[in-house]
Amino acid sequence: MDVDSDDSDIEISSRNKGKGKATAKKPKAIRTEAISAQPYTWEENFARSWDTVTEDATGSLQTTVDDLQARSRRRRLLHPSGTALRRTIIRHLVLLLDLSAAMADRDMRPNRWGLTLEHARVFVAEWYDQNPLGQMAVVGMRAGLGERICSMTSSVQDVLKSISEKHKLEPSGEPSLQNAIEMARSAMSHLPSHASREILILFGSLTTVDPGNIHDTIDACAKAKIRISVVALAAEMKVCREMCERTSGQFGVVMNEGHYKDLLLELVPPPAQVGASSAGRIGGDAVSTAPKANLSADLLMMGFPTRLPHSAMAALCVCHSELKSEGFLCPRCLAKVCDVPTDCDVCGLMIVSSPHLARSYHHLFPVGAFTVVTTRAEAEADACFACARPFPPIATSGGAATGGGDGVSPYGRYRCPKCSREFCADCDLFVHEVIHCCPGCGK
Amino acid sequence: MHLVVILDLSKHWLDAQSSLPFSRFLVHLQAFLNAYKAASTDSQLAVFAAAPGRNLLLYSDHEKGSLNETDPNAYPSFTLVGSTIAEKLAALYSDLEVLDEPCSLVGTLINALCYINKAITTGQCTPETDEPRILVFSVSPDLSTSYIPIMNSIFSAQKLRVTIDVCQLLGPETVFLQQAAHLTGGSYLQLEATEALLQYLTMTFLSPPSIRATLAVPIQDRVDFRAACFCHKNIVDIGYVCSVCLSIFCQPIPVCSTCRTKFPAKLVLQLKASQLPGITPQTSQASSTRAASAPSRADAPGTADFDVSMHSDPNSLPRYTRNGKA
Repeated sequence: MDVDSDDSDIEISSRNKGKGKATAKKPKAIRTEAISAQPYTWEENFARSWDTVTEDATGSLQTTVDDLQARSRRRRLLHPSGTALRRTIIRHLVLLLDLSAAMADRDMRPNRWGLTLEHARVFVAEWYDQNPLGQMAVVGMRAGLGERICSMTSSVQDVLKSISEKHKLEPSGEPSLQNAIEMARSAMSHLPSHASREILILFGSLTTVDPGNIHDTIDACAKAKIRISVVALAAEMKVCREMCERTSGQFGVVMNEGHYKDLLLELVPPPAQVGASSAGRIGGDAVSTAPKANLSADLLMMGFPTRLPHSAMAALCVCHSELKSEGFLCPRCLAKVCDVPTDCDVCGLMIVSSPHLARSYHHLFPVGAFTVVTTRAEAEADACFACARPFPPIATSGGAATGGGDGVSPYGRYRCPKCSREFCADCDLFVHEVIHCCPGCGK
Repeated sequence: MHLVVILDLSKHWLDAQSSLPFSRFLVHLQAFLNAYKAASTDSQLAVFAAAPGRNLLLYSDHEKGSLNETDPNAYPSFTLVGSTIAEKLAALYSDLEVLDEPCSLVGTLINALCYINKAITTGQCTPETDEPRILVFSVSPDLSTSYIPIMNSIFSAQKLRVTIDVCQLLGPETVFLQQAAHLTGGSYLQLEATEALLQYLTMTFLSPPSIRATLAVPIQDRVDFRAACFCHKNIVDIGYVCSVCLSIFCQPIPVCSTCRTKFPAKLVLQLKASQLPGITPQTSQASSTRAASAPSRADAPGTADFDVSMHSDPNSLPRYTRNGKA
């Protein structure tokens, strides 16, 4: 495990394991725990974090806090390399919710169960937003059984509706990992080979009640190339970690409410595909030794339709045989279908609207990280190129800002290596996290 | 209200036997901007321009210039907008050496989004009450190399809850800007009667999006969801899509150029075989019927041309059966 070298109490490394109730906003609580003993490795992150906090000229801590925030944001930006990865984009995910009695524990507010449902809703919305061709199902673990809460669907409303009916999801009994995983596995058994299969388990219990040997189930999942990721609310369990490692999923233990959300949102972007032509990194045993590692790739023929307005002449749609004016025209046979994405009922062409596909393109062509303007001579522009707001004059800001390093510019200026325009910190973040295009390069 | 106007200053203005010279357009625009400023005291305005080889800010409420001479008969903030834009444009054109460089309309669109994002983060604009929007005056046809950046900006605009309005002044319809307006809930207007530009602008684009629901603004009739292929930058309506990275290609290829995935050779041959000579021109054919249908859209939106394209396309049925067999 790597531990970040500098100490900041805002930064929480997600790779750390352990369980604690301290939040980033309570340095006092952290301090007492850290002094008494250090049983958990994650606490090393917070060691002597108060030493880095210094007051500025006016006695305020605001500048230090801003500085720490800027550093953590920059670190997040610098982390991914600017190369295109192979990612699975037609995703299928089964969300396994723990609905056992352990979820009624109140160590998170309001309780584990309430918080899980709340975060699950955010996760589902964000997941569908970023994986518009994906499908999701929800399975609950309650009273030793797996319970189907929502079957595989591409509609975000269906999933959100099914997990917002709280009275149907009251926690009780013991969870059974094996039963639930088997149910999820069977729900994904019919999928085509190019689709990804994933299971995400939100697990609050420390026990599992299984009818058979769970290692057989894990083997079956690894064989079916199902990626299992676990977010544990209580503590690390060996069987969970092993399950994730075997299937090259991610494993994380929640430290606090905010960290829970971070862990979930980390699982939203499509995972890099394993078993690609380069030697399989993780779980390479079954995947990369297979003779045709690229068997899963397919070239699909897709049509991009024209949308008809409400004012168009009414005609029968081919899917429901209803007389209606709005709809989409299949580009190959000009049949009218009600909704996309779908397969044309007449000619069988897969009809998608191009924005559906385009939503995932920023994963393929990420913007390279901007370089930091560190010396006064390098700062040339008067205003940020993106938002056209003038930069603060260098003479004053140069004195106040504490030295650069750690990827933060003392002048708040960042330069695109390709078009060599200068950008302010806000636009740097916005370009890399939201737009994924540099305005100077137009790409 | 928060409005960002984008002007496309590409050389297409000069191809003119056009009925709309740039100077006349500026007069209409000035009147529209005055109307916008007059509509509310807290209305904020910024004007960006996509000039050949550069993007720049022409006017912004945040960097107020000063008026040299004040006309006692004019409202000062009206003259300020007009004179600032005129000065900057004059300075720009005296600077420009080459007009041939391409205009980065999409770069300017990203600029406008960054501008609005900055206004939101600094608290100058709240998305709920200010309803930030972008109005694009475009004169250039689709630039298919800008497909991905345009799509990315559309999704960012959706995230920021920014409405994108498009007014295509000259030239053919632009598929991508049409999609931008459709997906962000804005209006797309293809200018037909250039004398009535001001009337179009005030009727369609002056009211903020929340009020438009109760007004009869021109609706967008048909939206073309075509995409640009990654290999030749053609705009296609049937494409071949890599299942790994969803890159779009206009013809079957053995290896994906984006993610280096090798496709099964059998499959590629099969797809190539189904792409018989009669089928390949389908993109151009379909687009020509769509282009032909464009002029009729004002009087009978999307009705007549639907029938015409059904019958005037003799290859549509044979094409389908051939594909069905393959």
